[in-house]
Amino acid sequence: MRLSNHLHRLRYFCSDAWDEWMHSAGVNIMALVTLVSALFVAGLVLLIVANIEQRVEVLRSDVRVEIYLQDGLGPEAPDALAQLLRADERVERVKYVDKTEALRRYRLWAAELAELVNELQSNPLPASLEVYLAPGTDAAAAAASIAASLNGDDRVEQVRFNQDWLQRLEALLGAARAGGGAVVALVFVAVVFVMGSVLRLAVYARRDEIQIMQLVGATPAFIRGPYLVAGAAQGLVAALLALALVEAARSAAVASSRASAVATADLVAGQPLPAAMAAGLALLGLLVSLTGSYVSVRQSVG
Amino acid sequence: MIRIQGMSKRFDGDVAALSDIDLEIRRGEFVFVTGSSGAGKSSLLRLLLRQDVPSSGRILIDGVDIGALAARKVPQLRRTMGIVFQDFKLIQRKTALDNVAYVLNVAGLSRADQRRRAYEALRSVGLSHRLNAFPCTLSGGEQQRVAIARAVVNEPKLLLADEPTGNLDPDLAVEIMRLFREINARGTTIVVATHDRDLIQRMQRRTILLKRGRVADAGEAA
Repeated sequence: MRLSNHLHRLRYFCSDAWDEWMHSAGVNIMALVTLVSALFVAGLVLLIVANIEQRVEVLRSDVRVEIYLQDGLGPEAPDALAQLLRADERVERVKYVDKTEALRRYRLWAAELAELVNELQSNPLPASLEVYLAPGTDAAAAAASIAASLNGDDRVEQVRFNQDWLQRLEALLGAARAGGGAVVALVFVAVVFVMGSVLRLAVYARRDEIQIMQLVGATPAFIRGPYLVAGAAQGLVAALLALALVEAARSAAVASSRASAVATADLVAGQPLPAAMAAGLALLGLLVSLTGSYVSVRQSVG
Repeated sequence: MIRIQGMSKRFDGDVAALSDIDLEIRRGEFVFVTGSSGAGKSSLLRLLLRQDVPSSGRILIDGVDIGALAARKVPQLRRTMGIVFQDFKLIQRKTALDNVAYVLNVAGLSRADQRRRAYEALRSVGLSHRLNAFPCTLSGGEQQRVAIARAVVNEPKLLLADEPTGNLDPDLAVEIMRLFREINARGTTIVVATHDRDLIQRMQRRTILLKRGRVADAGEAA
């Protein structure tokens, strides 16, 4: 078939899909509202997961292992140790904090104790190496492994790493992902059932029309075409509407949260839905609606 | 044109709708198929339209055994036929013009050709002033004329009509038969299933009489 014929046919499918949609507006609006509602819920879940994920990523990139060094080491000892740590691919960078810098930081951190510190004869704070982990590294495992590798090293006084805190944070993210996934799966199943029923209703209402089309020589593909185009368009429109609603809800929640000086919404909705997730949601809407249309019309057309 | 050989059709429960049918309808004939209710008229037309397949025997149209035709080739077969039903079977959401043009759309004609030929077909049945009317706004006679325009717009070699005047008053029935005669005069083979004896007598054409699913009288070919 020539390209012009394909285009002609596609144009017919689009115009007939619109014609059919308008003719059964009631049923089609019901399907659209169902799909928008389901995608809106899925979008909210994705938004919350994405925001928590972003927060965890920021915090994770801030995770560092602090290696306190013994007093009295020569200047080459921290360099040698830092060199050793940098060779580990999980380590992004290593920063040396000498005793003076450690004291300066302490004064900033505990300003109210500054006078007490000034009375000390010598600087009691040890020099240290701050080990920053590479992005994407399993921070808990890497930190534990680095700490273990330095166990018994006589240059090291103490290794500190708040492992429990990070593990709790990662457990929270895991729960958010699992919960979010379950909600999205549940919504998906529910919407397939609801959409399937609504679309079957629409096709049932068109069964006489479909029979006439078959009798005058229309092929199954020719009959299905407008229904599939309508299904795909409806899914895409529903996804765009749902995304707009998610963004509107997010903005409203953040504004309201900031006004009340409790920025809880910032944690779960501070950032808009990432483009990849928005595209995924649009694709989900398109696929659900298209599948529903195909399955429904297939029962009548074959 | 149509050759039916030893054809029988049984439905669920082994109920015989048609038994041992042997018939031949020549190209260009105008044939009535008549009989009382349940005689098998509509079953015969459904078989000719390939809505059903024979339980045994063969139906040949232009030498093609349509019972053995693959499902994917059925649409192509139907495009060589025109059909008219008692209940018109028009697509309610389409205008008269679009109902007629749909047949040409299915056949892949350009939109301009569809509309030009659909207009001509509607003009030939006297409906050029009702092109944009929806079926629900047309009278029964007008709806049947739209159905006839749809049936002939692709110049079929065979036109099948199942009780085409069943829902129309006698004057309109005569008008519809006049249209069929014109179509037949252009070379289209016409098979009309009807139980209207007055109409058959008035038309004086070959009449096949069915009784309890059997051919009681094959009529005389013109």
